[in-house]
Amino acid sequence: MIRRLLREPGKYLAISTMVPKVFMAYQLWFWIGLILSTIAMAILYFFWRAVYGGTADIAGLSLGTTLTYILLAQVFRPLTDIDLIFEFGFNLREGGIVHQLLRPLNFQLMYYAQNLGNLGTQLLLQIPMALVATFVFGLRWPTDPAVWAAFLVSALLGYTSYFFFVYIVASLTFYTTEVWGLGVLFNGMAIFLSGSLVPIAMMPGWLQTLVLSIPFAQALAVPINILTGITPLAQVPSVWLTQLVWVAGLWLASNLVFRLALRRVTVQGG
Amino acid sequence: MTRYLSLYGLFLKQRLKALLEYRANFIIGAASTVFLQGSSILAVWVVMQQVPTLNGWNLDQVLLIYGLITLAKSINHMFADNLWTLGRYYIRSGGFDRFLVRPIDPLFHLLADRFCQDGVGNFLVGLVLVVKSSVSLQIAWTPLKALLLVVSVLSGGIIFIALNLLTCTAAFWIVDSVPVTRMVFDNHLFAQYPLSIYPKAIGILLTWVLPYALASYYPASYLLDRASGNLAWLGPIVAALLLFLGYRFFQFGLRHYSGTGT
Repeated sequence: MIRRLLREPGKYLAISTMVPKVFMAYQLWFWIGLILSTIAMAILYFFWRAVYGGTADIAGLSLGTTLTYILLAQVFRPLTDIDLIFEFGFNLREGGIVHQLLRPLNFQLMYYAQNLGNLGTQLLLQIPMALVATFVFGLRWPTDPAVWAAFLVSALLGYTSYFFFVYIVASLTFYTTEVWGLGVLFNGMAIFLSGSLVPIAMMPGWLQTLVLSIPFAQALAVPINILTGITPLAQVPSVWLTQLVWVAGLWLASNLVFRLALRRVTVQGG
Repeated sequence: MTRYLSLYGLFLKQRLKALLEYRANFIIGAASTVFLQGSSILAVWVVMQQVPTLNGWNLDQVLLIYGLITLAKSINHMFADNLWTLGRYYIRSGGFDRFLVRPIDPLFHLLADRFCQDGVGNFLVGLVLVVKSSVSLQIAWTPLKALLLVVSVLSGGIIFIALNLLTCTAAFWIVDSVPVTRMVFDNHLFAQYPLSIYPKAIGILLTWVLPYALASYYPASYLLDRASGNLAWLGPIVAALLLFLGYRFFQFGLRHYSGTGT
């Protein structure tokens, strides 16, 4: 009897302690995410220092400029984080997409607004990484307000065109049920093609042409080039114009593809 | 031991049957890791078109280092990937309790439960890199070098598994152990490049604390007749020690496991 009485609270105590465990897991992820990003940043930092070991200039870029570019690209990485592929796949499987399509809202605009909100949050969460970049790796931030303004416009345009691009690829999940592989493949390609590892100026000619003729770089390399000063302010208007063309073209294409895909859609659940 | 080997064969057969039901997923899964590695390898290639050496290592030598660690990682990825999911999919759901009532070692059951096909992609990437670079580098093969190559890939794989085992055991207390495992595991990324490009502290960390460099930098140095290559022979000893510690710690965690109430 007494033993049973002693055992009873033990069971419930175990259940109570599950709550802080789950809560702690979220906290833990935040701090560990910081450590993981710091590891990635450290590797890039020391790698690039070693690359410049015997030379002062590569493709017209000094070590200082390259490090600034790489560190800024890491801090502003959320610019290339659009999880639409997994989201479409999930909604398709669970059937939630039916309700979303029936809402008296523009389906695409709804997702755009949602992703823009997510971008803002993710950028705020990057503040600790910005501090690490500044105080551990000596990132020197640009101070010219005109550069910042040019960067912000370019980043918004680039992000918008990239959103429409991902939207096209995500619409393809309506044809194939294989979402996970498509998503991983896409994200793997984006790491290099967005210019987050190597400045575009260092790539061989054919690769530069390739990278600039697909939309990945518009979201990250193009705005970061402005922020770093690799693209001078005088060229900014023509960069904006190119990005506007990207936005318009991909907006049209995304609506076309989505309309075609919608005819083929098979909602799997719900 | 033979019983476990034949049991593993049975598990593997079942798993492959299931995988072959979804052939496209099998191929896409394996290909996805190739693309993930592709980004980093392409970056190294692009940069080394511009500069001849990275701290005294040329492109093929860097790719040899990269390939060796990718091979070691693929062993962990293929055969021990389930350690990542211990907390999330087995302990949280209560599915782990199923293992405890079976007449085999629960750790063995956990590992044998899922052969991970994505690791095949890593294995192929590593193999291609090591073969390609060692041919270009015209490595003078001796029996000792060939032995070291095999030994260091295997012991490298065990170092990966043992470190994941040590950290995933945290699942018995905090349920979701993935962040802890990830925090240790990601340090292997340092060892994809020559250790000499980093400050001393990182070198010491990767050699003596989280010895991933024993799977890449040191064996590559040995194969290329560089100084400090002899340290590569420490690989199997360190691997055995870490695996022993990992297994004991897992047993310790198991004794403190009380389930989640699911």
